[in-house]
Amino acid sequence: MSTERDERRAQGAPMFASAEKIYPREMKGRFASLSRLATLILLGLFYAVPWLLWDDRQAFLFDLPARKFYLLGLTLWPQDFPYLALLLIIAALSLFFFTALLGRVWCGFACPQTVWTEAFIWMEQWTEGTRSQRMKLDKAPWGWNKLRRKGSKQLLWLTFSLWTGFTFVSYFTPVRVLGPELLTLTAGNWAIFWTVFYGFATYGNAGYMREQVCKYMCPYARFQSAMFDKDTLIISYDERRGEPRGGRKRSADPRALGLGDCIDCKVCVQVCPTGIDIRDGLQYDCIACAACIDACDSVMDRMKYPRGLVRYSTEQSMQGGDSRVLRPRVFVYATLLLVLCAGLITSMATRTPIILDIIRDRNSLYRELPDGLIENIYTVKIVNQRNIARSFHLSVDGIAGIKLDGIPAVVIVDGGSVLSLPVRARAHRDDAYGIMGITFGVADVDDASLAITADSRFLGPTP
Amino acid sequence: MVQEEYRGTRQWSRNRQAIAIVVWISFLTAAIGTMIFFALFDPVDLSGIIDENLEIGRDAGYAAGFFFFWILTAICSAVTAWLVRTAPKRDAQNRR
Repeated sequence: MSTERDERRAQGAPMFASAEKIYPREMKGRFASLSRLATLILLGLFYAVPWLLWDDRQAFLFDLPARKFYLLGLTLWPQDFPYLALLLIIAALSLFFFTALLGRVWCGFACPQTVWTEAFIWMEQWTEGTRSQRMKLDKAPWGWNKLRRKGSKQLLWLTFSLWTGFTFVSYFTPVRVLGPELLTLTAGNWAIFWTVFYGFATYGNAGYMREQVCKYMCPYARFQSAMFDKDTLIISYDERRGEPRGGRKRSADPRALGLGDCIDCKVCVQVCPTGIDIRDGLQYDCIACAACIDACDSVMDRMKYPRGLVRYSTEQSMQGGDSRVLRPRVFVYATLLLVLCAGLITSMATRTPIILDIIRDRNSLYRELPDGLIENIYTVKIVNQRNIARSFHLSVDGIAGIKLDGIPAVVIVDGGSVLSLPVRARAHRDDAYGIMGITFGVADVDDASLAITADSRFLGPTP
Repeated sequence: MVQEEYRGTRQWSRNRQAIAIVVWISFLTAAIGTMIFFALFDPVDLSGIIDENLEIGRDAGYAAGFFFFWILTAICSAVTAWLVRTAPKRDAQNRR
């Protein structure tokens, strides 16, 4: 092929022998467009979401200093941690589900490692040029051109990394406060530290480590094969059609030469971001980015052979069988996923936006009052998870004639805040002896359906 | 063949792999640990328990907690990797 020869000539050396790093070759095609689209959408979301507003506050803000998470109209408190845990389990299960069905689509199109690497490779291509230009540039002695190209690449990479770090931190600190603070260098030390930390991680991972992260550091890459079966979508080389591989003239009839359809041009290897040869079969280094499909299709087009020598397929159909999409494994993952999602949605929809905590004063058992009353002291904590102030009635029950003393008839708790109220409960000594269970209750004054109870103990003299 | 030539020296050495794995996996576990820990405990309450005069903000508390977890998990990871890699050779040969 002409490009390959040009490259050899340009380097004046055998093509791959001295390559010290992977120079993924740029490739146009269906899957390249798809992955470009995925990268643009995902990165666009990541960088844009902190700027979205919801009722005058950031729509998605994990306000760690205030220990509250805002997700659109929803406010989550540390007490809601089980939701977060459930959400993470759902995310992991979805990964299993999609892996069983579609193989490593996550790796090829959605993993942050892939997405940022792709963005960094774009910047590399804008500044250093195509694959062969990059190889030549790396071999060339340092001069003005090399300095200019490498310098502008580093400038782009560093700016982009810092912007990434800033965006990451702005999920935790309001972006409209953090932005100006960073620009005027008045931001807090920790905000600056995490911006640089995350920026540096992006720079290292997407600029330099790239596919090594997938090969050596990613646990998912190692265990994803456990979710695979014969009907999982994988990228494979059609060995029966391609072999024996070999070069030939475009006009030649491969059958007459005793050759398969693979012309051994190695373009599929050159485009591979992890540097594998798909023709060696399924390998765990393969991140299923489908660059080799685009590469092979373009070569097949030029040779006027049918496309699909390298294609998305399943082991089953490669062996001549029929692939099934619906199979027990897929059903099990899907059912689990549905049950968990339904559980999460129901429990979030029915969650009471009030939390009641009763803490009994540990320093005193009880106090006897002159008129035959026994007094216990508690701290009542009412958390109002709604964003508007609410009024509550506080009551206690469980012992005949028990009453609360020294509290207003109606307590008002501001939106999204906690009210801590010292409370004295009193009961007559004829009714209160030993350890007795009592129940505190709060009820919304305006909305009778908003009520919640919490249990505690009342101590009295031994009878 | 093609593959080997093409990859060149881009493959990481065993040491480099081990360091990268230790750093990354301990980072992930530390992140999960930090998340669970601070969902249950407020760093401001904790600083009061350690020393009543100690006043650290939540920012610093979270960071300190995270790095504490990271150092701990990294030590665990590193020692495990080291012991696995330095097991007696003879033993490894007889293993099935």
